[in-house]
Amino acid sequence: MKTPDLFDEELLYECYQCARCTGSCPAALAVEGFNPRNILLKCLRLGVEAAITDEKLWCCTTCHVCEDRCPQIIDVTDLLMTIMNEAAKKGYIPDKVKASTEMILHTGRVLLVSKRVALLRKRLGLKPLRPVSVEEVEGILEKTGLAVLMG
Amino acid sequence: MIRPMGESPKIGVYVCHCGLNIDGSLDCEAVARFASALDGVVLARDTLYTCSDPGQEMIKNDIREHGLNRVVVASCTPRLHEPTFRAACTAAGLNPYLLEMANIREHCSWVHLHDRKGATEKAKDLVKMAVARVKLLEPQVETEVPIMRKALVVGGGVAGIQSSLDLADSGYKVYLVEKEASIGGRMAQIDKTFPTMDCSICILAPKMSEVGRHPNIELLTLSEVESVEGYIGNFRIRVRKDPRYVSKECTSCGDCTHDCPQHMPNEFDLGLSTRKAIYSPFAQAVPATYVIDMNACLNKYGIVACDKCSQSCRHKCIDFSQQQEVFELEVGTVIVCTGSDVYDPTSLTELGYGRFPNVITSLEFERLINAAGPTGGHLIRPSDKTVPKRVAFLQCIGSRSKRANPYCSNICCMNTVKDALLIREHWPDTKIYVFYIDIRAFGKGFEDLFQRARREGVSFIRGIPGEIIQDVRTGNLKLIGENTLLSQLYQYEVDMAILSVGIEPRKDSAVVKRLLSLPSMADGFFMEAHPKLRPVDTPTGGIFLAGCAEGPKDIKDSVTQASAAASRANILMSKGKVTVEAITARIDPDVCTGCGACAKVCPYGAILVDNERKRAQVVEAACAGCGTCSPECAFGAITMRHFSDAQILAQIDALAENGARRKILAFCCNWCSYAGADFAGVSRIQYPAEIRIIRTMCSGRVNPRFVEHAFSKGIAAVLVSGCHPGDCHYINANLQTDKRVQRLWKRMTRLGLDKDRLRLAWISAAEGMRFSQEISAMKEIVERLTDDEIQRGIEAFDGKERHSSKEEGA
Repeated sequence: MKTPDLFDEELLYECYQCARCTGSCPAALAVEGFNPRNILLKCLRLGVEAAITDEKLWCCTTCHVCEDRCPQIIDVTDLLMTIMNEAAKKGYIPDKVKASTEMILHTGRVLLVSKRVALLRKRLGLKPLRPVSVEEVEGILEKTGLAVLMG
Repeated sequence: MIRPMGESPKIGVYVCHCGLNIDGSLDCEAVARFASALDGVVLARDTLYTCSDPGQEMIKNDIREHGLNRVVVASCTPRLHEPTFRAACTAAGLNPYLLEMANIREHCSWVHLHDRKGATEKAKDLVKMAVARVKLLEPQVETEVPIMRKALVVGGGVAGIQSSLDLADSGYKVYLVEKEASIGGRMAQIDKTFPTMDCSICILAPKMSEVGRHPNIELLTLSEVESVEGYIGNFRIRVRKDPRYVSKECTSCGDCTHDCPQHMPNEFDLGLSTRKAIYSPFAQAVPATYVIDMNACLNKYGIVACDKCSQSCRHKCIDFSQQQEVFELEVGTVIVCTGSDVYDPTSLTELGYGRFPNVITSLEFERLINAAGPTGGHLIRPSDKTVPKRVAFLQCIGSRSKRANPYCSNICCMNTVKDALLIREHWPDTKIYVFYIDIRAFGKGFEDLFQRARREGVSFIRGIPGEIIQDVRTGNLKLIGENTLLSQLYQYEVDMAILSVGIEPRKDSAVVKRLLSLPSMADGFFMEAHPKLRPVDTPTGGIFLAGCAEGPKDIKDSVTQASAAASRANILMSKGKVTVEAITARIDPDVCTGCGACAKVCPYGAILVDNERKRAQVVEAACAGCGTCSPECAFGAITMRHFSDAQILAQIDALAENGARRKILAFCCNWCSYAGADFAGVSRIQYPAEIRIIRTMCSGRVNPRFVEHAFSKGIAAVLVSGCHPGDCHYINANLQTDKRVQRLWKRMTRLGLDKDRLRLAWISAAEGMRFSQEISAMKEIVERLTDDEIQRGIEAFDGKERHSSKEEGA
């Protein structure tokens, strides 16, 4: 796994704020106020602490288009992910993210599987969904440290 | 002026206090006392300011009164005052090459401010090394090389035109070689120039025709330089001239073009229009003679399948029998004006260049808006030939980017401002958006033009669009991005988008680089001899640079540089001769076997090998004195004048005499690492006092034998340092250094020695800190060395180094 030092000032200084990242960002188009360029600038000028409190941070879909078009080859997506991790460690997790994480933690799935889903699958000739081993998922989340963060 | 050799050395040593600069951190008096006891020294003095007039007078008097035949000055860096003291020696009748300097200021007192004892010991060592070397110095006579009063200008853009005219007007014969069918270059393609909005071709055409009719200029179009031999003042150039198939009698009536059946994309209009196989590149072309593009002509394969042009020509100028010619030119100076290419934005797929017809480059726009261009100067967009009502300019395309070219291309901002104003002038209703990161309006009159554009309603929006989306039905373009000043997303629909593309080195600049042995920067532009003080010289004597070949620049700067280069060439040619410093290589014909190993490593091709007589010979005027050849000779046939093996070995012996166990020997090249060490001194960057520096002209001079000799004398560690690869003052001589050190490391490993004891470092003249870090790192290595290791080194190389150099060189 690559673990670049994404808070390396040298790397952040490479950015000259051309805004190609935000201009390319599908999430920025959908969510007013989500702005990867601005988050990078905040990181550089005010430090990571200033960036982690912003809930909009979590709108990144990790599509990596920004990185693809950045003239300075800055890994903007990876930077955002690193900031999200940092935010989570400090307890800044948006409620919605928290809810879905808890869902995974307790059911092993992102979405609830209702009876209607089972019925639909049957009608379409699909096999019933296999039960998920919640213990196993829990184990993974424990190892990654997410379980602890969720409390 | 040359004293007879053979008389025993009578050395005078002068230890300079330099006020408190030196005496403040070491004991000058003690150093002078130490020097007076050295063998061969007849007098040693410590003086307050040796470089002052009284100081110089004292040296002159001592030479006359005491019959000194060698002088050592221990003071500042020789890069500063060596010429001063050499002149003093000359004035007193002593050959200037019998002076040696010990650098006890930049390399000692300033870098060991808090170690008086260490600094004094080091100064004593440096003086002892200088005394050892000065004994072996020989008087040298500088030679003069004649300079031919003819010049070659490569490239017929505005820079080449200006250089040629300046030199021709000064009375020199000029050969102007141009690859294309006409001179004019990029400037001929451009519609208007900034900031004055002059018509580009209107101001260029008179100069072009002046070149065409100037009696001193021989214009060679469709020509390329094939090979370059020789050296400053005496270059032999082979030029290949492709046939034009149309004779000089051509009146440019154009009847042939009218009748020619073959159509081709017109390169001059960047493919936005077509031309015939027989054509004139543009109306103002010089020479005006038409040209046949044989790749397009039906007679390509030597059979006359079509003679329509020939039939329509009333003057019978068409001549299919013309052949390629090769000329041999002899010139004294060369000016390289090979120009630049523009960035191709096809690879930036999000912008759609090449896919969307209404996305064009700024150079294409110049042709579109030019009265002589494909549209007759009417602004229309390519997809449906309608007049665009909304136009966008995108800045920094292919510039300031790690994906393309990292540098700023210098001209694009003002070019866009100019283009925006041009549109405004002719079609005032057009809405113009300029998407930018920074507007760099730095030149004379630039800011005014920029402000004018803003006032006239051009919208400048900070933030480059992330992507361009084409509406398939209308061909309109949607630009999506963020206005960073408002932190707001935008979506603009425009009819046409112009990519302001950057400048890059010509695709074939590598060929020119190889032909003329020119160094280039990492970005591919040719490197000047000194970025501030010799901006149009190349490191190779007699070759100069002008225009975009040296870096992106506008017309004014190109013309300025062209005149500067012409003036520099003029200085050489009007003088008619040049003095070569007497540090060149000499080959002993009795020892030389003509193996040619030296010729292979010479960066200048200055060694000629006579295979019949089995002899190699140095062309003195071409030799720059780097000394790279010398270590390569397995037979010891090459002597570097003023930096001989014996002189350098004597320095090593002197420093190894006592306390070698703790000492670090550093070989520094005159241009980069020695200057870097000087810079550390000037900046007062402190480092351990165990280091002793030996100066060579180039790191390529460092014979592996020297390193082995140092280890055999028990010296703890050796640093070999030079310019960064690519920055070598002697083109690429330091590549040999790298190879030799690699070989030494292998050898040391084989002999069971700690290879960390030999270090290779590339240190530029600006990297004083780097120099100090290298020395500190070496001190750590020295401290962990065991006596056993030192002893192993002594035994491994003792008495064997002479033999081993043969083995390494073979």
